[in-house]
Amino acid sequence: MDPIFDDFRKAYEEGNGYDLSMTLSPVDPDDQPDRLYKFFRSTNFAQVKKDLQYRILYDNAAPFKLPAEEGNGWVEVYLAYWKAVGEILNAENAPKSNAKTSWTKVYDSWKEMTNALIRGYTNCGFEAWTVPCLYVAGKYMRIFAIKADEATGASAGSVNNFQDDFNPEAEKNEKLEDAARQLNRIFTICLSDRAPLEESRKWGIYNIINLLFKTYFKLNSISLSKNILKAIQAYRGDMPTLDAFPKAHQVTFKYYVGVIYFLEENYEESEKNLTEAWQLCHKDAIRNKELILTYLIPCHLLTTHTLPTQALLSPYPRLQRLFLPLSRCIKKGDLSGFDAALVAGEDEFVKRRIYLTLERGRDIALRNLLRKVFIAGGFEDAKDANTPPVRRTRIPVAEFGAAISLGSKETMDSDEVECLLANMIYKNLMKGYIARERGIVVLSKGGAFPGTGV
Amino acid sequence: MRGTNAHLDPPAYHPVQVRQTFNPPPLHYMPMAQQQYPPPPPPSQPAEAPAPRKKIDWPQPVRNYVQRSFEPQNLLDDVPRSEMEVKLKATITSATDSNTLETIDWDNLPLPQQMIRAERAQAAISWQQESVDLRMGGNGPINTRDVNLKKRKSQEIGGDEDSNSHPPWRTTNNRNALEDRITFDKRQQPFHDDTHKGTSKFQKNLEKRQKRFDGGYKSTYKASPSPEPTSGPVVGTCQVLEKQYFRLTSAPNPSQVRPEPILRQTLDLLKKKWKKEGNYGYICDQFKSMRQDLTVQRIKNEFTVTVYEIHARIALEKGDLGEYNQCQTQLRALYAQKLGGNPVEFKAYRILYFIHTSNRTALNDVLADLTTAEKEEKAIKHALDVRSALALGNYHRFFRLYLDTPNMGAYLMDMFVVRERLAALSNICKAYKPDVKLRFITEELGFESDGDAAQFICDHNGQHLLEEKDDGLRFISGKAGQIFEAAKSQAFRKVDIKGQI
Repeated sequence: MDPIFDDFRKAYEEGNGYDLSMTLSPVDPDDQPDRLYKFFRSTNFAQVKKDLQYRILYDNAAPFKLPAEEGNGWVEVYLAYWKAVGEILNAENAPKSNAKTSWTKVYDSWKEMTNALIRGYTNCGFEAWTVPCLYVAGKYMRIFAIKADEATGASAGSVNNFQDDFNPEAEKNEKLEDAARQLNRIFTICLSDRAPLEESRKWGIYNIINLLFKTYFKLNSISLSKNILKAIQAYRGDMPTLDAFPKAHQVTFKYYVGVIYFLEENYEESEKNLTEAWQLCHKDAIRNKELILTYLIPCHLLTTHTLPTQALLSPYPRLQRLFLPLSRCIKKGDLSGFDAALVAGEDEFVKRRIYLTLERGRDIALRNLLRKVFIAGGFEDAKDANTPPVRRTRIPVAEFGAAISLGSKETMDSDEVECLLANMIYKNLMKGYIARERGIVVLSKGGAFPGTGV
Repeated sequence: MRGTNAHLDPPAYHPVQVRQTFNPPPLHYMPMAQQQYPPPPPPSQPAEAPAPRKKIDWPQPVRNYVQRSFEPQNLLDDVPRSEMEVKLKATITSATDSNTLETIDWDNLPLPQQMIRAERAQAAISWQQESVDLRMGGNGPINTRDVNLKKRKSQEIGGDEDSNSHPPWRTTNNRNALEDRITFDKRQQPFHDDTHKGTSKFQKNLEKRQKRFDGGYKSTYKASPSPEPTSGPVVGTCQVLEKQYFRLTSAPNPSQVRPEPILRQTLDLLKKKWKKEGNYGYICDQFKSMRQDLTVQRIKNEFTVTVYEIHARIALEKGDLGEYNQCQTQLRALYAQKLGGNPVEFKAYRILYFIHTSNRTALNDVLADLTTAEKEEKAIKHALDVRSALALGNYHRFFRLYLDTPNMGAYLMDMFVVRERLAALSNICKAYKPDVKLRFITEELGFESDGDAAQFICDHNGQHLLEEKDDGLRFISGKAGQIFEAAKSQAFRKVDIKGQI
């Protein structure tokens, strides 16, 4: 028990919240591989409370004295922690068949610990510098909930709800949904702290929000994230601005906000947030940068019609596999190649939720193809040598049709070709109009394909 | 319990004063009390308002009566306190109104909780009688239900009413033993009728609530302390095919739950009825009670799937998206357990539905769930093609697909075909100059005839865009400006996802 409380005292003395939070970690530190085991075995159910009280409240060797209320709050926290550690050790050694009950017990006991912490803040005057303890509590609550749900599998839930139908989702993610509620409580006690900013729990808010986002994404209830955003928007007057928070919190937060906008098809806002996250991200956090780019690249494709360069993708082989085939086809205007690449990557795209966005890249591929047709059309016969040459702007629909049908086995009928051309015009990717009776497209003399130099 | 005063404090009787100001008695409990419990003789001058309540000095017997009502040993588990208070209030009010406060034998008057129990027993008996009648008569609840509905309506507008139209919990039944012991004064009848007029929304809600508690389907079970909730699924014993739907508020009673063999017969019956009568209100209600019975018994098999599928199809046909969605949610889980049924058909509907609601997240999830083999199935492939045609703005292909929709998918596509036509028209108006044949619009946008296409254009204020020329009617797309664009934005704005009927 002593190593933990040596750390506890030291952290308390220095006011170091992160060190303090490490004393509540449910994972052995690398240099002490059996710390949890020893901690659990150093006492027993009969003695544990007394032992904790002795170490936290009455130890005369300690260089400082905690107020009784605060000290008792910590006794409760560590008591719950001790019990949770017991369950964790038990679950890790439990046979597969018992996994279900033992991870559920871990989750429940960890929730108890978290509740003791929350009570510490609401009733026992825990100070704001200790909020990293909430981070640890929240982080593992989510992890344990997922483990408990996984172990529960498809077993029947409780029968005593009086719903007319089954609720398949609730049964599958019972604990994780509960965890989301607990995290929300933590969010509330951070957000509603009225202490002056210097000593406010508000400094913990973005870390908790990020945990909530993560949980909501996993639960597939992303819309709930919007509630969180609304809540902090409402409190923004009393809050430090985002850039005053640790960079790690900022990056994660902006990433999630960017993805939320992305899923709502608000690509401008999404691009803005993701770009900020990209710029703030630690240069060695390859995995995080990869995640950011996964959404930033499709964003760029739609907003600015630009494709990722070879150099940008070079450190990320996974992203290369994801985006390069499509990029090549878009660039070449190879429609059938694009379709094939989309099908080939479909599973991965769908999993990342970028399929529906990438699909729209086909417009750019089509634009590039039509532009090639336009350029291949060459110039009108110059009337006199002094005027600069003018491109041929009256192009038969059939010429576009032939280009579109390239590479595919069947010829597209001309009504459908016109439909695609109409779309290009409608979306301002091509300027001009279709004269249906004459079967030609009349393109604008000044910039038929805006933004492409012709 | 607390002292007399606690219950005689003015606040407890406030509503009494209120009632004086508004002529119709606020609650319908009162007549019951009057019919069943003799003491208050008929008011000699009911029209004349008694003296203001505040000045009444409650007689000691009344105080005692109130006190007795709230003594712990007299409280009954199955009678909620609120209900008791209402009853108590009503009893005293009616006594005050009829100036019988002094004459009633308060010491021997049944306590409010006992009255409530007696009423319940009575309601149970009359309900039972009713359901026996139903079973005997060939018509089934469908007609009775209609009758009741009509009756309810006529009641609202203050029309006449006969005792049959009373909800069971209100019915006074002469067969009732309790009633026999009571002298019943006919002169109270007009007063009684009065109470049913002016059925406010509040009162209706109250009725509904009341119905759930004491009338309704629970009451064939007479000695009614509700059974202890069990940890396992219920095993039903009910042998009646039809059952009205009530939302459960407590653990289900096995005698009210139909076991699977009965439910199978029910399904056959309902299928026949739906074909013959097509009464959606009735069918929906019956299917909901079937689903409830399946759920409480935890029956998850091919039959369950069939029930949900049929209900989903009927709801779809009737445009009841609320029920349709509930069924779809269940079906998704049931298909995941590989219980048979028609997963392809319903997965295709799911895709079309999410296109309708423009729910990208859900669409993405659906795509993630489909296997390669499923993507090749005709209905699913159709739905996926619809999705991609719309994503790429390929209205040409979209309307070809619309005209060739498998199963009942057209019901779903009808929900968004108008907005897609507007989108396509906006597109055409921007891209085609100077004009196109109307025939072209008809064909491209999947209209049945030129007339339909012209009508659609006119419906959106595009009359001036139609022009008769040598080779037929032409649509002057170049002059349309923003009219279809505006209509399109309007149509795409927000889709009401629930769409409950």
